[in-house]
Amino acid sequence: MQNRDQSEAEVALAPRSDPGHEHEAALIGRIRSGESELFYELIRPYERRVFVIAFTILRNEADAEDTAQDAFLKAFKYLGQFRSESRFSTWLIQVAINEARLRLRKSHLEIMRPIVDQENDDGTYTPRDFTDWREIPSEALERKEIREKLVEALGSIAQKYREVFVLRDVEHMSIEDTALALGISAGAVKTRLLRARLMLRDLLSPGLEGVWMGHSQILKGTKPWS
Amino acid sequence: MDGSFPDSKGDKTVVVKCEDVWREISNYFEGDLDPALKLAMEDHFVQCTGCQSVHDGMRNVIELYGEIAMFTLPAGFHSRLRGRLSDQVEGHKISRRAWLVSVGVTGALAASAVCAAALDRFVPRPLSEMGQPARRLPERLVAIVDGGKKFHVPGCPFMHGKYHMVTPEEAVREGYTPCIRCMRDALRSAGNVTPDFEGEERASSATVEE
Repeated sequence: MQNRDQSEAEVALAPRSDPGHEHEAALIGRIRSGESELFYELIRPYERRVFVIAFTILRNEADAEDTAQDAFLKAFKYLGQFRSESRFSTWLIQVAINEARLRLRKSHLEIMRPIVDQENDDGTYTPRDFTDWREIPSEALERKEIREKLVEALGSIAQKYREVFVLRDVEHMSIEDTALALGISAGAVKTRLLRARLMLRDLLSPGLEGVWMGHSQILKGTKPWS
Repeated sequence: MDGSFPDSKGDKTVVVKCEDVWREISNYFEGDLDPALKLAMEDHFVQCTGCQSVHDGMRNVIELYGEIAMFTLPAGFHSRLRGRLSDQVEGHKISRRAWLVSVGVTGALAASAVCAAALDRFVPRPLSEMGQPARRLPERLVAIVDGGKKFHVPGCPFMHGKYHMVTPEEAVREGYTPCIRCMRDALRSAGNVTPDFEGEERASSATVEE
């Protein structure tokens, strides 16, 4: 397992040769040479992602927007320090995470404990609910109430699980890039991801009187989307 | 509940319990499992409704969060961001231009300073703040007093102390300026312009000479 983590880390640190990476590297070079207005083009694909990770940590839209702006400003200021052996997007997410955590500490919001705060990563998490989950109707995904419940459930798990889950399962970053962005090992990412997924499954389980069923006015049956 | 399957080498049997499934279920969805373990888990799902529920639930969670547009940017986010960045990004560009201008100005100033220094080497600063350097020099030796500021014609009443004779060029090189009293005639004969002397005279008349 350790060898696998090491090899993943090596892969993540290896120079990227995909066209998107090369295009970004060229953009960064031109920005450093004085074409600073190209910074807008460089960050455009990542505006939403930076906002999402800031919102994931801060759980407040206004704070998340301010933090995202601060992160982009800092990225522009310190673009000269960016090392091109990693992805720009990963570096940018690192900047955003640091900014969000800093704001969180300043605002003392961390004293608000999550509803579901589990033990250490080493501890095992046992699923609480085993009722049947049927297939999700596609129209359910369109319902605003469903989205709100997903956000609510996500906000109720501990920050360290929330960060990993959002980067991997919402933003679809790779395990390796998630590990780089958060400054943890790939193994830790997998452990936290497992726990985050299991906790969210329990929170959203149709058989429990948890976040999902306990506060919903729209769900009459035993399934969230029935 | 157990699920047994030979591993990828075919020489061992992978035994899967519910706890193993819960521990590996996330890796199962990542596709990060040994094929034998994966088959053993799938066999276990068929037999164990509880683990099948865990499997279905986790799959739904991944699909829900992965597919739904859960987070949308606030209206006007992009324009506000651009507005916030413009001072830095576009200001940065202006400052680069300003930097180039400032480099040019600095260079010009430095060149001026170098020229001035070079000139100083050839036109020494007068010892007397009020004195004017001689533009034309008399064609005879002049008298200077150590610690004085003017060069004189020997016998000038405004010269005090022991003097010695030097060439006018040496006197000028050392910063001496002509005494407007005794040197008037000598400098006039050498071609200096009268107003310069008059100005010098007005200025120096209010001071005590040497």
